[in-house]
Amino acid sequence: MKKLVIMLTVPVLVSFGLLLWVYQINLAQGFGGDNTLVVYNWGDYIDEDLIGEFEEETGLKVIYQTFDSNEAMLTKIEQGGTAFDIAVPSDYAISKMIEEDLLLPIDYDKLENFDNIDPRFLDKSFDPGNTYSVPYFWGTVGIVYNPELVDGDITSWNDLWDMPLENDILLADGTREVMGFGLNSLGYSLNTTDKDELLEAEKKLETLWPNIKAIVGDEIKMLMANREAAAAVVWSGDASEIMYENEELTYVIPEEGTNLWFDNLVIPNTSKNVEGAHQFIDFMLDAEIAARNTDYVGYSTPNEAALEFLDEEVTSDERFYPSKDVTDELEVYENLGKRMNAYYNELYLRFKMQSK
Amino acid sequence: MKPKKFKLANLYLLVVFFILYAPILYLVVYSFNSGGTMSNFEGFTLDWYKSLFTDTRLLVIVLNTIVIALLSATISTVLGVIGALAIYTARQRFTKTSLLSLNNVLIVSPDVIIGASFLILFTMLGIQLGFYSVLLAHIAFSVPIVVILVLPKLQEMSPTLIDASRDLGASTWDVLTKVILPYITPGIFAGFFTALTYSLDDFAVTFFVTGNGFTTLAVEVYSRARQGISLEINALSAILFLFTLILVLGYYVLAQRGAKAKEVRR
Repeated sequence: MKKLVIMLTVPVLVSFGLLLWVYQINLAQGFGGDNTLVVYNWGDYIDEDLIGEFEEETGLKVIYQTFDSNEAMLTKIEQGGTAFDIAVPSDYAISKMIEEDLLLPIDYDKLENFDNIDPRFLDKSFDPGNTYSVPYFWGTVGIVYNPELVDGDITSWNDLWDMPLENDILLADGTREVMGFGLNSLGYSLNTTDKDELLEAEKKLETLWPNIKAIVGDEIKMLMANREAAAAVVWSGDASEIMYENEELTYVIPEEGTNLWFDNLVIPNTSKNVEGAHQFIDFMLDAEIAARNTDYVGYSTPNEAALEFLDEEVTSDERFYPSKDVTDELEVYENLGKRMNAYYNELYLRFKMQSK
Repeated sequence: MKPKKFKLANLYLLVVFFILYAPILYLVVYSFNSGGTMSNFEGFTLDWYKSLFTDTRLLVIVLNTIVIALLSATISTVLGVIGALAIYTARQRFTKTSLLSLNNVLIVSPDVIIGASFLILFTMLGIQLGFYSVLLAHIAFSVPIVVILVLPKLQEMSPTLIDASRDLGASTWDVLTKVILPYITPGIFAGFFTALTYSLDDFAVTFFVTGNGFTTLAVEVYSRARQGISLEINALSAILFLFTLILVLGYYVLAQRGAKAKEVRR
């Protein structure tokens, strides 16, 4: 009996000792009831030094968590088990979250640095008037290719069909992306709901199969860097990472037009520290901070004031910072509704099934 | 022929153990690699362990994991013993078997499903995910294990022991604390340590119920591995393995001493 009592009390005492230790560590680091801020971001999508600086500046403590897909993030926030104060969804996920009432409106009186954002990245169809979201990073969908393996320059989507690229193209596996460039190559909008146009695009994509090596996910970066294929359809953010790995590659925004995408900062309605969330957004909007973050992440920043703190070589690169004329022509994905999305998926699946 | 057979059995055992332990050994060896990858060994270094120990966030996670394991094992041992006693003393055969079956179903049902149902339950009840949700979930999946480990000891016990103590004038409390509990102590210990290790390395259930910055080592190792394999994970796994080893040895020593004490008494 004595042994049992000891066995049951010792663990409890040890646990309380350890809990006290944890409490002290947290106290020493400034964690406590109300002064925390839970940030939910993509993996490796912020310069973590900035979090420390934000904590120092505001006295808030940031609990930083990461996700790897919009869908995973949506599920966690919908569940509501965790009080996230900041999240970073992409455009289509934002419109979904607005529809499902998962977001709190942004109070622009609290954002001193909001004017730093280039107006051309505001008021998009996924969040009209930017009621709920503030741009964090943006980019395009385009073609990354290896000039040494391709004769001449790729400039348009149709070059994927016309140039001698047999079994040499990789596609990023995304319904909207693949269907989108099929539509764009025919001169149609990538938000079209016209079934004839969609069918035509799918038929045209099928004729691309002899050139397609594979439809892949994240491994596309490694494959391109290792010269496994001559060209690939990717997001510009991936393209810049690939080009960082292998400098001989280049990226092009096809002349027929393409998709313009955004990852925006939002405040989920689970937030318990709305004030702190605004402070965080305002901090990230600061020109110098945004510039350092952009430098680390390598994607394109919508922060106009930050551009002057960045390397001239980066900001003058038309591939990643195209002029207003170019971006005005690009299209943001619109929420097509459940039925149209299903139709897109069906056509995309049919296209995939035609593989040799 | 006999000696040869013996050798073959030994060899077989050796091969099996080698297969089981080789990956762990491989992992531990590379945690001392000064090169950044698992592909080739460049030299000995303790850097990965150093960077682990300077990481206060990780320290907090390790402490949390241990606290959860200790508390959930203790509480589920108490609950499990009570449960086993209830099943043991159930009068009707039907109640007994149905209680036992319900207990066994919980043991064999997949962790993923247990985790998902806990997530749904907690969010429905409005319980914030974090320390308490993890603790509750761990207690819940440990209790059936304790029950199943304690019950055989109870069944092994001769009912005449209880009758005898009753005849000698023992109250119910006396019977429980002076006869039954001492007799089933080895089972209780086994239950406690099994619950402890279950809690330490559970990933599937814990993954669903962590949140608000509270996380355990198993979940942390998984999410770190996803962001690209770093040798810090090797170091972490090596420490975790060592810790489990110490636990097992501790249990072994306690069991040995218990057995010896019994022999002496006899």
